[in-house]
Amino acid sequence: MGSILRGPAAFDSARATEAGPHRRDVGGRVRHATANPTPGAGRPVGVGLRALSTVEGSRPWVRVVALFAVLVCVPTVVHGQAGEVVVSAASSLTDVMQQVADAWEARTAQRVALNTGPSNTLARQIAAGAPVDVFLSADEAQMDRVASAIAPGSRVDLLRNQLAIVAPVDRPFTLGSARDLATAPIRRLALGDPAAVPAGVYARRYLEGLGIWRAIEPRVVPMGSVRLALAAVEQGAVDAGIVYVTDIRRAERVRTVLVVPADRGPRIVYPAAALRGGPNPDAARRFLTFLQSPEAAAIFIDEGFLLPRP
Amino acid sequence: MTWGPLAEIAVFTALAALGATLLMLPPGLAIAWALARGRFPGRTVLETLVSLPLVIPPVATGLLILWLFGPRGPAGRALAWIGVDVVFTWRAVVVAMAVMGLPLLVRTARAGFEQVARRYEQVAETLGAGPWRVFATITLPLSYRAILAGALLAFSRALGEFGATMVVAGSIPGRTRTLAVGIYSFTETGQDQEAAALLAVSVAIAFCAVLASNRLARTAAVR
Repeated sequence: MGSILRGPAAFDSARATEAGPHRRDVGGRVRHATANPTPGAGRPVGVGLRALSTVEGSRPWVRVVALFAVLVCVPTVVHGQAGEVVVSAASSLTDVMQQVADAWEARTAQRVALNTGPSNTLARQIAAGAPVDVFLSADEAQMDRVASAIAPGSRVDLLRNQLAIVAPVDRPFTLGSARDLATAPIRRLALGDPAAVPAGVYARRYLEGLGIWRAIEPRVVPMGSVRLALAAVEQGAVDAGIVYVTDIRRAERVRTVLVVPADRGPRIVYPAAALRGGPNPDAARRFLTFLQSPEAAAIFIDEGFLLPRP
Repeated sequence: MTWGPLAEIAVFTALAALGATLLMLPPGLAIAWALARGRFPGRTVLETLVSLPLVIPPVATGLLILWLFGPRGPAGRALAWIGVDVVFTWRAVVVAMAVMGLPLLVRTARAGFEQVARRYEQVAETLGAGPWRVFATITLPLSYRAILAGALLAFSRALGEFGATMVVAGSIPGRTRTLAVGIYSFTETGQDQEAAALLAVSVAIAFCAVLASNRLARTAAVR
């Protein structure tokens, strides 16, 4: 449930801070005090501006609100403090990376700021100049998109994963083989958006390989991330979904209908890289090395991820 | 970039917002009238409940709608029984828009009802008009501008609805993708041209709606 709130909620809060009505209020008041000491007298003043100035003149709490707005805004601008490593990781890595971050913090006393989301969104953030130290993408295409931001020679294939077809516990259909998906009683199938979200791109590639994508496409519900697709299945809002095997572990009211073996499905690779534009380039390199350590590998394997073939 | 799907999104959004406005008019006016004229237990609770979608995060409202209208929710089960499917269909878009627009309609219409002098209604009553006739011949004609303004506000709110729609209807191309959701989805998938085109359409529609609503407010003030 936490995951379903993440994408759109973040979007809304970003919009809210951008709109920032308080900042405009403060600006209006200051300009008024210097340019026109006797508001309302002399030259005509816009009704809106006059109303604004009277509210501010009579209500000291407006200043308190403005101060509060400043206090809230400043920490969000000054992110990536010293001694912190900023990590952007694919949605499907949310739980496992929290554990890896805990292990890193226990070992180095250095905090990890973990930013999780669909890899395509994370790649866009990085391309737009977001100060990120390490990027873990769920597919190669999204890592390719930020190629120019990668610290030279730091890109590695970190993990592999597998797809699984899942369904709500109260939808009792079975599949003899994955091809039966086309004829199964499924009105809606949740995927990550097959236009960009890695899990959706992999799922489409898989269904295309089986020759049933055209039959299934009209029933596809594209979701913002693989975890949102899983949430739709958990809520019973769709009849089935295709997610990663590793996503299912903590899911509730979801049953695994079919696991796609790694050698039958698309090649699912998670590349990782240190980025040049991050606030903490040295820590980025060290964190990337830690991700490839036996200690981190044990955590990844424990959560069901596969290591890349040597 | 092809224009067909984009035009489809714009038309679908406008139709869905129109449908949502029509859907919320009967309950919205009933609630507004009850709040303006009625004295009954639970009045303040109703007042608060109706305003909630204005203040709680749209995504949370969406989640509530999903629980109500999902296949496991009470409303969803009842509708499934008569063969109507809601979540991730166009119906979910309309429901989300209606719930999010309702507070604006109720508040504006209520203010309009309250401005109608009680005396006119009482005179009508002494002349033998029943409550329905009083409403239809006195209250409604005297407050139709406020109702129109409220409906326009709710319609505009519905056009831009994002959070709740995203949760209950998703972003299915050609089915549930609205302007706001489309802009988000196209941005997420890197289709910047499509996003920019939808952005331009949104600005154009919003411009017309605000212009119309301001004109309405101005002529109302002149009278």
